[in-house]
Amino acid sequence: MKFLPQDQLEAFLAHLAESAIVVAPQRDQDGVLFFQPWEAGAEVEFEQLLTRQSPKDYVFRQTETYLKFGYQMKGKAAAEEEEVGGKKSKDEPAAEEAPPAEGEEPAHEVLQVETVEDAPEQVIFGLRPCDARGYYQMDQVFGGYGGFYYDPYYMAKREATTLVALTCAQPWSTCFCTAVYGSPSGTDGVDLLLTGIEGGFTAEALTERGENLLGFGGFADVGTGQADAAQTVKDEAFAAIDPPFEIEGVPQGLRDNFEDPAWHDLQMRCISCGTCTYVCPNCYCFNITDEMVEKSGERVRTWDNCFNPGYTLETSGHNPREQKFARFRNRFSHKFWYYPEKYDSLLCSGCGRCIRYCPTKIDLREVIRTLGRPHAAEAAPAEDSEAAGVHAQTGEDL
Amino acid sequence: MNVQTAAEFILDSPFLPRSAEIIRKDRLNDTETLYQLRLMDGSELGHLPGQFVELSVYGVGEAPFSISSSPTRGRTFELCIRRVGDVTGGLERLGLGDQVGIRGPLGRGFPVETMRGKKALLIAGGLGIVPLRSLIVNILDEREDFGDVTILYGSKSPDDLLFRDELTQWEAREDVDFRMTTDIAGPKWKGNVGPVTTLFRRIEVDSRNTVPVMVGPPVMFRHVVKQVLACGIPEDRIIMSLERRMKCGIGECGHCQINGVYVCQEGPVFTYAELKRMEEAML
Repeated sequence: MKFLPQDQLEAFLAHLAESAIVVAPQRDQDGVLFFQPWEAGAEVEFEQLLTRQSPKDYVFRQTETYLKFGYQMKGKAAAEEEEVGGKKSKDEPAAEEAPPAEGEEPAHEVLQVETVEDAPEQVIFGLRPCDARGYYQMDQVFGGYGGFYYDPYYMAKREATTLVALTCAQPWSTCFCTAVYGSPSGTDGVDLLLTGIEGGFTAEALTERGENLLGFGGFADVGTGQADAAQTVKDEAFAAIDPPFEIEGVPQGLRDNFEDPAWHDLQMRCISCGTCTYVCPNCYCFNITDEMVEKSGERVRTWDNCFNPGYTLETSGHNPREQKFARFRNRFSHKFWYYPEKYDSLLCSGCGRCIRYCPTKIDLREVIRTLGRPHAAEAAPAEDSEAAGVHAQTGEDL
Repeated sequence: MNVQTAAEFILDSPFLPRSAEIIRKDRLNDTETLYQLRLMDGSELGHLPGQFVELSVYGVGEAPFSISSSPTRGRTFELCIRRVGDVTGGLERLGLGDQVGIRGPLGRGFPVETMRGKKALLIAGGLGIVPLRSLIVNILDEREDFGDVTILYGSKSPDDLLFRDELTQWEAREDVDFRMTTDIAGPKWKGNVGPVTTLFRRIEVDSRNTVPVMVGPPVMFRHVVKQVLACGIPEDRIIMSLERRMKCGIGECGHCQINGVYVCQEGPVFTYAELKRMEEAML
């Protein structure tokens, strides 16, 4: 453990910025706190606990171009310039149709591989442990776990990213990381953990990457009592969060309550806007679309929203989650039941942004309290469903 | 930490399509066209019946299509496509020699190997004939490897029947029991009228040695499964193929997910025993 005096903070940021893009919480022109690339002299804000959005976008882009393509006429352009990858058209035998008019062969696409310059070395600085854990949890989808594909676009950026997290001293009322196996000083995914104490920050390296950061000359050895002070900050923050539900049994509870009428009550005011999915540090669903102007275009993937009625709509018109309650149920079940079953990790790190920014005040904690309780194996099931019904109406804590 | 460079990651990308050329286009119906394609690098697609590909019409988009041809038929492959959306509309505007992008084959196909030596009961409803044709042709091309073959095909109306030349051939074969039905009869229709389940009255199913394979809309599944179970066939021998909106095709994007299962990876072919455990699968 090392100590970073407050007056060395800017020098540390500048040091990091010499070899990487540094992304840190900064207010935009409207005063809203976001993760943004840091430049010398810019003011970094650590007072407000959470940024409006998690820094998810810096690894899993909201909009990401991964293919570029263009249609060029064969024959014409070939004489003037060498076309990329265009060799394939020549040696192919013509189909058994009448040959096209001289020099007027049909257009074909030339496929170009997008350069990889958008995976630069970057340090995400001052993110909270829940946001770091968001990457850690998402990594399972994109990292080839369980025999699945290794996502080259996500992983190229992920592996070029260093996470410098900051312990939360004063959690918000919407924080519930401790209910989902996390902590205000959690270290999942974290390379270097800073904890604010009198006069600066303690710094603990969790990985080799983190260890390397401690090479900066502004770090001092921890003084007497500083390690204890940091531990006190951590302990007090942990104690400040009252876990709103008991996570054990939630997957089974969601399974047991799959047909529970409370789903219909709780989803009633949802407007399918998808704000919860956009502010979530874990939500990873995406769509793939082509954008084209005249003869050239791009293939992009963009964050998607599982609340969108078109999300599961098939071309035939069949839609397995046509009703809103089914989409609503899917999101919570995915985070607390489906995903853990598949990847051995929850898909929620307890940041509470979905609660804070939902325009209709839907509260994940209430949903999980109401529908995440397993039916007792021995007890009469009638008792449980009755209880669930009551809580759906009152929204009270159990 | 980096075993590969970022550039290598991306050249290996499962998102990069291979180029394929349209070598034949047969209009089957008002809305369905059969496209024959060939990969431009000369390689074989290497698919199993029941698998699918993601097809790109660059500038329009990418969409999943089940492979309609049998791997026994060589270097080309066929997709039977109903013109209904953007990608299918864009595809229709392409001509012979034009290129599309292909990713795949993707997903889990029909269990052709375990079906060898057994009797096959192949049931298609509507567009379900499109993926099922890959299995039917595969079985007929290797006919001696399989026991009795029964094919049931239900469609909305006689006009909606696909692959009519092949239907006539299947009907003529003595080593295949092929039966059709339509929900609505036309003036020239002399065959069975009613849902595909009404054909069960006319066939005998050997419960010990028959593998039923069905592809169709959810409503068909619900009724046909009942019939097949009533014949005494165990749940884990009933094979079904699901339609879902696969987007990435590689188990990431979430669109085709049912509970913890990605249909694009673990399906689209499942046993009824598997589907029964999944909420929302039969919706």
